Amino acid sequence: MVTTLLIIHGLSAVALLGALTHQTLSVWSPAGKRTGSFLNAARSVSSTSYTNAIIVLFLITATLGAIIYPAYRLGIRVVLQDYHLSVPEGSFELKEHFVSIGAGLLPAYWYFWRRPLAPGTARTRAVLTIVLAFIVWWAFLVGHVLNNIRGFGS
Amino acid sequence: MKLMRVLPLFSVAFAMIYVVAVEHNLAVFTYHPQLQQFALGVERPKAGPAMYWYGWLLTSAIGATAMSIIALVVPERWTGRIWSGFTWLIPTGVMFAFVYLLKGYFLR
Repeated sequence: MVTTLLIIHGLSAVALLGALTHQTLSVWSPAGKRTGSFLNAARSVSSTSYTNAIIVLFLITATLGAIIYPAYRLGIRVVLQDYHLSVPEGSFELKEHFVSIGAGLLPAYWYFWRRPLAPGTARTRAVLTIVLAFIVWWAFLVGHVLNNIRGFGS
Repeated sequence: MKLMRVLPLFSVAFAMIYVVAVEHNLAVFTYHPQLQQFALGVERPKAGPAMYWYGWLLTSAIGATAMSIIALVVPERWTGRIWSGFTWLIPTGVMFAFVYLLKGYFLR
């Protein structure tokens, strides 16, 4: 059961990562004219259309993570402590807190991204997006590394 | 809409209350994963570890909701003058605070 949830957690995290990365690129490095390149296509998306999907995916991913969190505390964290792997353990502690702050940021994120976009808040919108992107990238990479350390399904 | 204007404040309050809740362990409830038991308030570990994270989240959500409700009575002409950048500045500051608080993991 935990393994199934972990896979769904990972898949929804990938979808979230993609959506948030597209939005961040389109906000911080918008495409000038279409050149047909991969990077140009990645950043020429309509950034506002991603907002609700990002919020839903964040909530799904975080909720699944919260459900499987006890398995980490009982089966994985103990191993990290036994082997004195303090950096991965600390990285996960940071993930826990960053994701909490990210979840708390969602109401503000939605407020500043709702249509019509409020004038004079472009900078706030852009920074909120990149902060959320950082949180999601951090959470994804830490989760991935920890899964590699302990071993899938072990 | 009137309710929506307090959403940025909710986010800022959530981050501020969360770091205080973690630092002072102000969890509304404790979860004992080994026993699969919930307990109201902060309880010491029984069999296996005790998990406070869920409780910290609820503490922060309740606190931020309360602050948002209070902010609703503040006239919009006052709150409208507050710099919107606080919405990202304060949560980002809280993230740096956690890096500092957890630095021991990375300096061993």
